[in-house]
Amino acid sequence: MKTVQTEVPEALYNKVVALVNEGWFRDEQDLFSEAIRRFLDTHQSELMQKFIRDDTEWGLHGND
Amino acid sequence: MIDADTDIVCDAGPIIHLDEISCLDLLDDFRKILLPFSVADEIEKHRPFALKADLPFSVLRGHNSADERFLGMCRIFFLDIGETEALTVMESHPEAVFLTDDASARMVAGYMGFKVHGTIGVILRSIRRGQKSPEEVLSILSIIPSRSTLFIKSSLLEEITLSVRKEFNI
Repeated sequence: MKTVQTEVPEALYNKVVALVNEGWFRDEQDLFSEAIRRFLDTHQSELMQKFIRDDTEWGLHGND
Repeated sequence: MIDADTDIVCDAGPIIHLDEISCLDLLDDFRKILLPFSVADEIEKHRPFALKADLPFSVLRGHNSADERFLGMCRIFFLDIGETEALTVMESHPEAVFLTDDASARMVAGYMGFKVHGTIGVILRSIRRGQKSPEEVLSILSIIPSRSTLFIKSSLLEEITLSVRKEFNI
């Protein structure tokens, strides 16, 4: 495991703490890891490249 | 030729990114630029003068979807309030083009069957719309890494540049 130090907006952090206190996550680390994993699932490099290539095709050859 | 009556629904990203590279005027080619209130609010925080440009902006209030499945999908994909509201506007303007640079928002828009594009598409589109010359667009693409907060892999930016050069024999 890697240790990461970062800053997050206080309001965001408070929501994290609230979810942990309600018992939905074991601890803050658990929640942050889950959030990052989900974000990475939808921001894969190949996917983002596909979107940009779609944009290039539309930009150069689209009809709207 | 292109339908000049196309409306766009915008997320904050493309407006911010186009303004950063002084290309907001490329949006004057669209009939209406529909912005949910939360998107307009986000733009004003980052680029206070962007929405003062002489463009057909229309800020919409009170766009909240009651569709729980749609809202659930937005949550699953971590869409923020602006992206969620923009997609809600798209539900009532399905013929419009949704502009976003966020991968998750693009995925959800795609699943919903909406036309969706981003900043790069708008920049390249300006050539076929006669707004910019291919040379001007190459110049714009070259300043993206230094002037814009639009993050794009350098090799991909080079690929786009080559596509423009090849298309126009430059």
